[in-house]
Amino acid sequence: MKENIPVLIILLPLCSALLCLLLTGLHKRLGRALVVLATAGSLVLSVIQLRTVITEGTIHYAVGGYEPPFGIELVIDSLNALIIVMISIIGFLTVLFAENFGDDRPVVKGSANAILALLITGLLGMTSTGDMFNLYVFLEITSLSAYCLIAMGGSKGVVSAYRYMLVGTIAATFYLLGIGILYSATGTLNMGDLSAILNKGGYDDVMLVSMSFLIAAFGIKMALFPFHGWQPSAYTHAEPGTRPLITGVMGKIPALAMFRYFYCIYGTDYIYVKYLLILLGVFSVFGMLYGSLMAMGQSDIRKILAYSSVAQIGYISLGFAIGTPVALAGSFLHMIGHAFMKGGLFFCTGAIRFKYGTVNIDDFGRIYKKMPLTCGLLVVAALSMIGIPPTAGFFSKWYLALGAAGRHEWIYIAVLVISSLLNAVYFFKVIEKVFIQQDKGLDDKWSKGELELPLTIILPVVVCFIAILGIGIFNVKLFDILMLTLEGVGL
Amino acid sequence: MTIIMLIVVITVPFIAFDVLPAIGDPESPPNSHVSDYYIEHAIDECNSPNMVTAVIVDYRAFDTMFETTVMFLAGISVVLIMANKPRRRIPSPGDFKRTRNTGGTPIYQTINKDVMISTIEPLILIYAMYVLFHGEVSLGGGFQAGALIGMTYLLDVMAVKRDKPIMNLTKFMSAAIAGLGPFIYALTGIICFIGGGLYLQYNKLPFNIHEAELHSIGITAVEIGVTIGVAGTIITILNALRERISFDDDND
Repeated sequence: MKENIPVLIILLPLCSALLCLLLTGLHKRLGRALVVLATAGSLVLSVIQLRTVITEGTIHYAVGGYEPPFGIELVIDSLNALIIVMISIIGFLTVLFAENFGDDRPVVKGSANAILALLITGLLGMTSTGDMFNLYVFLEITSLSAYCLIAMGGSKGVVSAYRYMLVGTIAATFYLLGIGILYSATGTLNMGDLSAILNKGGYDDVMLVSMSFLIAAFGIKMALFPFHGWQPSAYTHAEPGTRPLITGVMGKIPALAMFRYFYCIYGTDYIYVKYLLILLGVFSVFGMLYGSLMAMGQSDIRKILAYSSVAQIGYISLGFAIGTPVALAGSFLHMIGHAFMKGGLFFCTGAIRFKYGTVNIDDFGRIYKKMPLTCGLLVVAALSMIGIPPTAGFFSKWYLALGAAGRHEWIYIAVLVISSLLNAVYFFKVIEKVFIQQDKGLDDKWSKGELELPLTIILPVVVCFIAILGIGIFNVKLFDILMLTLEGVGL
Repeated sequence: MTIIMLIVVITVPFIAFDVLPAIGDPESPPNSHVSDYYIEHAIDECNSPNMVTAVIVDYRAFDTMFETTVMFLAGISVVLIMANKPRRRIPSPGDFKRTRNTGGTPIYQTINKDVMISTIEPLILIYAMYVLFHGEVSLGGGFQAGALIGMTYLLDVMAVKRDKPIMNLTKFMSAAIAGLGPFIYALTGIICFIGGGLYLQYNKLPFNIHEAELHSIGITAVEIGVTIGVAGTIITILNALRERISFDDDND
């Protein structure tokens, strides 16, 4: 059974999603219980898988027993394994959290849980697959379930989901064009085989054209700066219970896929690589400044966080644009850290909305007295976004700056610092509202029991709090795990 | 203007760089790298004379499983978004009858639908079964069979006015059935674990017969799963669209 762990991690949420509606028909709570159990199971398996990968090296799993390139292959290296653990944790917490939102009719409850589980399946699959077309299938599952979850957030949600769907379909088309060109030039769909063929040389034009399409495709999916148009409204109006997963994880996985194409498949030996890196760097730099500036002007906390995500994705792609192993490790550290920060911040806004029904930061006056745990996470996550030690954000930015200094990219370091200062401006605005402003005297919509919130909200809040500090303190450990794969990759 | 720009941007790379092989070139990489292997080994390894089926549900069965899941996802998405908040009843066709110009009976109304439909429906279903079980031998497969079964239901619901329908599936039940189909597919793969195989490795199914036969059983099982999934999805979408659409539910 142990060799089947990579596929079981994907299968557990998938099967729970497929059976969820049927079981919800039998009993109202049964379907949801199955989804919770399945995501918990895949969390446990992903931790076991991470241990295996660290001790025994990369796992290659040939689905159906057909050797690649003839069958489909799942490839789990230490990078993937770490990201899979991250997805499983946030996925599990979001499934718990989503219980408190949405209406109670069995058909809505059952379908919503099924779609949430499918979103987790898609993200896990995109991370673990080693096949180009299989990646597209998982991309499709991820996007479709995300469209639906965004559309469930009321009438504004429907409009923003429609917008995202139009743009997202173009992204999927670009991805197909990109892999179509690659397939017609090499005749293979397996990533390892493709990499071997491309590195024989003579494919420079093919690589340039396909990479431009792939940058557009993944850029749209991860909301990189000039392609980010769909993102702020979609993140703002998504179904409140599932927002942490959508905002925290969904943008990161296309970034991981882009990294795979950029460094693991294409390598850095073809002649156009430096132009593509500069292109990516320009996108990131403008994204970091634009996202931070736009976030300063908002008063809806969801909008602040959505625009800040544009900037934070810029940090991740900045690491790719720098391209040294240290900078890449910084990118991935930021990916993991930011998933917990942004997920955590959306857990906080969800919790505040659940208790007081508001999302406007002007109403947050002295809320810390009533919701100490939530505000604790809010402050830690905000400090981590700004980049203050010992939180996760500081160390990822540190590695990024270290990588940039190694290649003498002083502009990148300057932008990194400026963007962090801009982050400080708008996050201190939030912190000021929470701690200093007058109490608005909002009515409490949930005052049962001793706790400030239901247990299903407290658990995600506490886990994110611990994770942000934990990633910061044990960053060297994570850095070493990432380096198992990243050593020798990049410039 | 934007559209022209988009077309230019997309076509320029193909003209400026020679990235695509000539059409029909037998030496081009897509026609020689992995295709040769499929052509030479499909019959031996998968026991399927139809190479397309061999590639779809055996070599790349993992993809097809998620494509079927996409169908299920589309079905429940339509239920959630379109039929979430039924407010008013759809005006029934009877409401429009008064306003219609009646210049004699149209020719299609002279057909006795009860007789015609009950003759056609069994034929369509038999054909669906043929398409399903012959999918691995000749053209056909689960998707088409599922579409045929779904169409039969659609025909029955839309054409015949019955006081008591033969089979009345609610949108909840049909969505649950649509989920059951891909689950059968996934389960076929999981059963392979028992025989000590990898996921979807049909020749490790725990039955005591020849390997080639096991491949046939596996392919048929997943095709049945696909059929149920597609039929359920079509019925789900029909059921969802029959309800009133209303977006006055901004709970944000």
